[in-house]
Amino acid sequence: MPKKILLIEDEEIMVDLLEKKLIAEGYEVSVARDGAEGLEKMRKLNPELVLLDIIMPKMGGFEVMEEMNKDEGLKKIPVIVISNSGQPVELDRAQKLGARDWLIKTEFDPQEVIDKVVKQIGK
Amino acid sequence: MEVISKKIITPEKVITPEQLDLFIKKATAKLGEKIKELEKSKTELEEKIKERMAEIERRAEELEKSRIALMNILEDVEETRRRAEEERDKTLTIIRTFADGLLVFDKKNNLLLINPQAEDFLKIKAEEVVGKSISELAKISIFTSLSNFLGKKIKKIFREELRLKKNLVVEVTTTPFLRGKEKLGVLVILHDVTREKVIERLKTEFVSLSAHQLRTPLSAIKWTLRMLLDGDLGKITKEQRNFLEKTYRSNERMISLINDLLNVARIEEGRYIFHPTFIHLEKVVQSVTNSFKEEAKRKNIRFQFKKTEKKLPKVLIDEEKIRLVIENLLDNAIRYTFPGGQVTISITLGKKEIELKIQDTGVGIPKDQQGRVFTKFFRAANVMRMETEGTGLGLFTAKNIIEAHGGKIWFGSKEGKGSTFHFTLPFKSSKIK
Repeated sequence: MPKKILLIEDEEIMVDLLEKKLIAEGYEVSVARDGAEGLEKMRKLNPELVLLDIIMPKMGGFEVMEEMNKDEGLKKIPVIVISNSGQPVELDRAQKLGARDWLIKTEFDPQEVIDKVVKQIGK
Repeated sequence: MEVISKKIITPEKVITPEQLDLFIKKATAKLGEKIKELEKSKTELEEKIKERMAEIERRAEELEKSRIALMNILEDVEETRRRAEEERDKTLTIIRTFADGLLVFDKKNNLLLINPQAEDFLKIKAEEVVGKSISELAKISIFTSLSNFLGKKIKKIFREELRLKKNLVVEVTTTPFLRGKEKLGVLVILHDVTREKVIERLKTEFVSLSAHQLRTPLSAIKWTLRMLLDGDLGKITKEQRNFLEKTYRSNERMISLINDLLNVARIEEGRYIFHPTFIHLEKVVQSVTNSFKEEAKRKNIRFQFKKTEKKLPKVLIDEEKIRLVIENLLDNAIRYTFPGGQVTISITLGKKEIELKIQDTGVGIPKDQQGRVFTKFFRAANVMRMETEGTGLGLFTAKNIIEAHGGKIWFGSKEGKGSTFHFTLPFKSSKIK
């Protein structure tokens, strides 16, 4: 059984790229285009890992994590934050909300996303 | 006549007619003489009167002259007074209508004058404050911040910012006025920069926002190119790879430019130093140095880190930012030193601070441009000819970071010989802004 990853990201091209990369690595990938949809799919699919963008329409990444923390079932799903800005304030907030890891899109390559995913849940 | 009659009536002496005749003749002669004398005196008197008259006339003339002269003097005085008044009115008009707030203090620091603009800034009337000393003024609430800013002795200030109230930021300058070497008082100038501050903030926000917006497509491009290059999207030809690699590098440059701009925007927003922790500076230096070893080797530059044997205390710093400073300085040193040259980084312990020195044998900074080294977007003419890359933000950022840590940054440089950059970090610093 391939491991399930939920990718919550609104930028289409980023979704396409990450999805392709993750599938090639043997993961099963579901996609949500905003935070609200993300939470919904999280409850339905019970993924092993969440890749979470911060700035999104309807509900942003921080709110998603806040909601997850309120829910015992969702709380234990590991989250890797994929942020665009990488401002220390944001990273700090992500850590406080329980993110396992984070990466800044402009400073990382897609392969490094895979490395971080593997580090969290294995192949 | 009495004499004659006496003689006539004297009984003892009988006067003969002859005698009488003689007597009369004599008397007549005498009388004639007297008359002559009298006439002479009269002429003399007339002469004297004439002389006197002339004298009086001369005096009158002189007096008239004096009178005219006096009148002239009086007119001159009047003219001078008028001119002085004009001058005073001119000065007062300038002071009253000046766009800056002006306050004049005498040599004992009592307020002599306040112009309407300053009255307006401070929302106070001249009659409420004129004559009061700076310490008395400190007790008036609106004056407190200004009084404290100026100090009891009104220190010398040149264009320093002060927020007087919510919507008013002024730039304060104080300048003493002197007669010779004697101090007569101090002029305090309040220049309204509220609008400039607002524009500055808007500009910073704009840069910040656009930089963020630019990062999204840049990361999309970066990831697409990377995946193409990694063969994730199918096989590519050698030529395609060549082009894609160059595009990837261009994109990386763009990302680093955007990051620099964001850093500057954050510095200007005053929210840059974020995470101060106590750490060993040499560890940071060592780690940055390691990351530059390969580049130095590739360029055939001798590259050395001279540690001190003394035990260095920990410093309270934002590691990420200090790392950026060292990276900027080392990057410049290596970038602008020719193959065969040398870059040395050394660390020394001072009384209250740790000093880091980065010395190169590179192109140096032209003397006429050395004053602008730490200003935003500055790039020296000689390095612009060498490399078009570079934003001119590295040293500006470095200076802001070091100063926010309570440290100092400076350099010495000679064109064609090389540059040495120094910075210090205090190790008992609680002064992180």
